[in-house]
Amino acid sequence: MWKIEPKRIVGWMKSAAGLSILLSTAVAVAATLDRGPYIIVNTVVTGGMLALVAMGLAMVFGVMNIPMFAHGEYFMIGTLVAYYVFTPINAYIGTHPDSVLSALGPLITIVAAVGVGALAGVASEVLVFRQLRKRSRENWVMNSFLLTVGLSVVLINGHQLFFGADFKGVVRFWGGAPLSVMDVFISRDRVAAFLLAGVVVLAFWLFISYTRTGRAIRAVSQDETGALMVGIGLNGILMLTMALSCALAAVAGASLLFMYPSYPSVGLEPLYMAWFVVILAGLGNVLGAVVGAFIVSLLKVLTTEYIGAGWDFVVPSVLIIVILVFKPSGLFGSEVRGILDK
Amino acid sequence: MENTTPSSNPLDRLIDLLCLTPLGASALILLALLPLIPPFNQEYLIRWLISAAFIAALSIAFDFTAGYISIVNFGFSALMGLGGYTSAILAERIGLTPWIGMLMGALAAAFLGFVIGIVTLRLRGIFAACLAWFFGLALMGLATKLVWLTRGPLGLRTERLFDSSSNLSFYYLVLVMMVVIYVITRRATRTKIGLAFKAIGQNMEAARTSGINPVFYRVVNFTISCALAGWLGGFYAHFYGILTPDVMHTSKTVEVLAVAYIGGRGSLWGGAAIAFPFIFVMELVRSSLSNLPGLNLVIYGLLLMAVMIYYPGGFAQFFDTYIRQTRSRFLGYLVNGAGSRFGSISGQPTAPVAR
Repeated sequence: MWKIEPKRIVGWMKSAAGLSILLSTAVAVAATLDRGPYIIVNTVVTGGMLALVAMGLAMVFGVMNIPMFAHGEYFMIGTLVAYYVFTPINAYIGTHPDSVLSALGPLITIVAAVGVGALAGVASEVLVFRQLRKRSRENWVMNSFLLTVGLSVVLINGHQLFFGADFKGVVRFWGGAPLSVMDVFISRDRVAAFLLAGVVVLAFWLFISYTRTGRAIRAVSQDETGALMVGIGLNGILMLTMALSCALAAVAGASLLFMYPSYPSVGLEPLYMAWFVVILAGLGNVLGAVVGAFIVSLLKVLTTEYIGAGWDFVVPSVLIIVILVFKPSGLFGSEVRGILDK
Repeated sequence: MENTTPSSNPLDRLIDLLCLTPLGASALILLALLPLIPPFNQEYLIRWLISAAFIAALSIAFDFTAGYISIVNFGFSALMGLGGYTSAILAERIGLTPWIGMLMGALAAAFLGFVIGIVTLRLRGIFAACLAWFFGLALMGLATKLVWLTRGPLGLRTERLFDSSSNLSFYYLVLVMMVVIYVITRRATRTKIGLAFKAIGQNMEAARTSGINPVFYRVVNFTISCALAGWLGGFYAHFYGILTPDVMHTSKTVEVLAVAYIGGRGSLWGGAAIAFPFIFVMELVRSSLSNLPGLNLVIYGLLLMAVMIYYPGGFAQFFDTYIRQTRSRFLGYLVNGAGSRFGSISGQPTAPVAR
């Protein structure tokens, strides 16, 4: 079935997508040879989690046409749920070291975060976006963007109001000695976070590509009216999309709790990064977002390594601006073309 | 366009020159007298008034872009901060007087706004908003990291404009700046260029078909708005006397954005009118319920969402539909001005620009 055609490969290599992927791989390899393998490890771990957040962002834009400014807040909800679920579990493990919970605890935590994240997504779709959709679809992109800005302010300050502004974090999910990969010691939490990201991305991709519901979601993203005509329940699909993408952000938040303790504006950094990814990959392009996530996380890691901490907003954003000047539709283009013309 | 006869009353003509209605003019006079009236003459209330007037002025400049060419400038506060930093650094390094420094700040912000405009405004609305945002983030990162120039998070100290313990003179200055900004933007929208802005904001394809070059007009609009933001940034620097990179934070943009949209997009005056009561209520909630931190911002976000969903035209639309259409002659004069030139040109009262 799969024939290797040299012409097509060369053609792909000359396209913006191929060029950027090859170039960033080369840069990653060069940096790894220069400074050591931890660069690639860091890139991959951060990139995996960033992919989850960015995928959700891309999907919400692709399917619902909402430029989500509040996406980081679902990340924040994920960290918050994880903190409140895992802390008692951890205390229990402390007194009963041999119980089943020490293996299952983190999983329970993440499942809880998924549930609450999805619920938060459904709630915001029903209470906020559906209300606007019912009333006016004119100038929808801008109006919904402003709604998400309001939502973000409410969620950040709601966190501060109800849970306080202090840092709420855990030291680790999984105990035990760090694993050694390529002469780098990686904590088990990072490995787990990366594996989790991989599993979720894969599951998500399979879901979108091969299930009926996934197909319906793609149909809505391509043509809403057409989807309605063939009998797809629009409201249900939109709600599901929102729930899924918020759950993705919540998973990322929950499994990174050991790196990002929960506090009101913890979601801002992932949000910025995810927006970099989504704009770089092309708005609404879900699979492009996965690749873009690794490119952006490579940029971030390299900037921190070679230029210094704190520059990781300056350099990537300048680079992305430069790229966009030459290629306004993003590196991988957008499969859902014409979305901005609606 | 000029479908009215100029009024002979010199007062009316002055009011018209300032693009105000008699009601607006009296509101301004009231604002000018407010800090002399007892409950408001306390120092902390004057500070609230200053921040309200400052937000009001920013929201006018913001609305000039957001309401007319439909581009949300998400890096707005970064450009304001750039103006502030330029002015403060010039004052510190070469001893330039803040009065000129503020104008230099405006110039710097205008230049950067021009560059951002050239780069981003070829793109459609949301892309342009995002790119302006990235520019803002990069600028804030620079302000944090160029410690030799800006002293980073430690804060850049600079001299204040007036060397007095009272803030009254600052209040009058920012009020005057607000009026100047209003007059500049309103005058600009009354010209042919302003008509082009409106056309682009309402329907870009139709505007292009009528021979309007959207990129040119968008860049002009964006540059003016950024210059005004930079000028206000200069005021900010020399009022507080200290600048930290936080002034460039996105949350500051959100603050201005919320006021501008609750006030009514495309009206220019709506944000300014709403800013005073709004900032006062916010500050009251914050200071009286200090055991509930963040409550004021929750209210603020909820209000923004409610306005966006249920009444997208904001306060200006409410005013235009319910108060401007009055039958009473006196009230009509008050809200529409003599000859109602204001009403006829500043958008159709029943169907405002805002959608």
